[in-house]
Amino acid sequence: MTSGHWNKVILGRPAVRAGMSLLLVFVVGIVFHADGTFLKWETHRDLLRQISVYGILSCGMTLVIISGGIDLSVGSVMALAAVLFSLFTIHQGWPTGIALIATVLTGALCGMISGGVVSRFKIQPFIATMAMMVFARGVAKLVSGGQKISTAIQQPDGIYQYVEVPRSFDVLNARILGDNLATVTLILAVCVVSCWILLSRTSWGRHLYAIGGNEEAAWYAGIPLTRMKISAYGLSGLFCAVAGICQAAQELQGDPEVGVAYELSAIAMVVIGGTSLRGGTGTIGLTVFGILIIGYLEKILSINAVGEEIRLMLTGLIIVVAALFQMKRM
Amino acid sequence: MKNILLLSIRTFCFLCMTFPVWAQKSSWTVGMSQCNLGEPWRVQMNADIRKAAASHPEIKVIFKDAQNDNLRQRAHIEEFVSAKVDAILVSPKEAAPLAGPVRDAFKKGIPVIVIDRRVLGDDYTCFIGADNKKIGRAAGRWVKEKLGGKGNVVELKGLMTSTPGQDRHTGFRESLQGMKIEIVFEADMKWLEPNARKEMESALARFEKIDLVYAHNDPGAHGAYLAAKSAGREGNILFVGIDALPHEGQTYVKQGILSASFEYPTGGREAVEAAIEILRGKIVPKEITLPSRVFTKENIDKGGELLAE
Repeated sequence: MTSGHWNKVILGRPAVRAGMSLLLVFVVGIVFHADGTFLKWETHRDLLRQISVYGILSCGMTLVIISGGIDLSVGSVMALAAVLFSLFTIHQGWPTGIALIATVLTGALCGMISGGVVSRFKIQPFIATMAMMVFARGVAKLVSGGQKISTAIQQPDGIYQYVEVPRSFDVLNARILGDNLATVTLILAVCVVSCWILLSRTSWGRHLYAIGGNEEAAWYAGIPLTRMKISAYGLSGLFCAVAGICQAAQELQGDPEVGVAYELSAIAMVVIGGTSLRGGTGTIGLTVFGILIIGYLEKILSINAVGEEIRLMLTGLIIVVAALFQMKRM
Repeated sequence: MKNILLLSIRTFCFLCMTFPVWAQKSSWTVGMSQCNLGEPWRVQMNADIRKAAASHPEIKVIFKDAQNDNLRQRAHIEEFVSAKVDAILVSPKEAAPLAGPVRDAFKKGIPVIVIDRRVLGDDYTCFIGADNKKIGRAAGRWVKEKLGGKGNVVELKGLMTSTPGQDRHTGFRESLQGMKIEIVFEADMKWLEPNARKEMESALARFEKIDLVYAHNDPGAHGAYLAAKSAGREGNILFVGIDALPHEGQTYVKQGILSASFEYPTGGREAVEAAIEILRGKIVPKEITLPSRVFTKENIDKGGELLAE
């Protein structure tokens, strides 16, 4: 047992390397604690709320990336879902259950269309989902009339009528467990666990890794490529819809402009965790590390009131450092 | 066959007879190039233009959205010129890239009305805009009075690389000079509500005593309110925003979420009115500075109060 061997066993594990990155970010937080703010529980509780929407998007993104693809449409589909859910519940007064189902199905449908275009027409995922990104944003703007869907409803005569915030919004925007955990964080946890079950406990998951690893081999092995891809992108769309509902509930409105560039954050979270963009490898647990690394980084910069210029530069640097940590040669 | 022929002739005659009516109905075509429709404030500007134009049947407005692209907006102006519109309204994205096309249109005799942001030089017919620095100063004075000259303030800034963000910041700080009002926390929330909520959460976690939040737009102030509400501290903090759109700031004031919202008028209605004056051969001032109002709980039902300089 040489030390080199142990290096391989311990440091060879992506989870250990992601954990080290997270630890490093933690140390930075403890050093720059901003008058003790970093050491308060509330800071961490709020952080877990902030990252929830991004985290839910990264769950779907993980599935798609493992399949060897990418989903650029997550931010737009999320905005569409936020607008639709607000329209259904605030303006139309639909029952929460029906509004939820309609919104989630729309999200899933958007993803399935992307998946269909990717698998049937063999269009590159980058292009197919970019098309969906633009298209879904257009639909979100169309159905909302370019305005935020809020509790101020404009009547045909131009006068605003004010309605109450739907109860579903209050429930999602609240905290549970003695005010210690945001509801949206719980939803993120449910999404993570669902992904974990799908990826490591079902044949669907094994097929997904197979497709990402070697698509041709997977095809020869009899894995239904089209169906797998449609379901993977469809699930990503479904998670987008969940994220959109959470976003709308936290803003108390459906904003058609929300989620611009969120796809970049979601991709960064997945990749920094250690899931390769080449596909076929990675786990949802790694993505959780990625979500926490980026989330904590932002939070530390925010509580220290670091200026925007420095923030962007530091974020860029730290992403590179975290990616270096993930290299096999370390 | 004969019937169809007859019908065609009749239709043609009818159209000819009515021609003067619909020709007169929109005898002037006005092109409007909006730099983007991502901001609710700009959506509101277009709505104001549409509303003002609806009460003047003699003009027809063609709307174009440049989607935050300088070159696309440049193309808009060129398209309007080649389509021979009677007047051009433009709310530019940036001053320099549009100066050339606007000058060309103006030199060709097409009146150009520039709204909100300027173009370089003075080859345009009329500029309509409000003064952000003045609004910032008014907000500062209001805050000073409300807090009695002392207290802890959080400033949530708009995009600090944009002139509205810079002016709303410097104007505000000018009014607070020499006061015991301390800006304990400031952050750039880039006009976006989710960012404002995040930054405010950091401020709340860090400071026990916050008396007031000044946000450079109403969504920012609303996001800060949501953060404070989530921490159970919204009752001890006043929230002040800018823009006062009917469905945002004015609504928030009415709902008691914001203590005050300072109007940043869109100038849409004024632009249509100026265009009609010009097309009727009248002369309008080269520069129209729009008055701004403040909305508070006390005056919101009376339609706000004009700001004094």
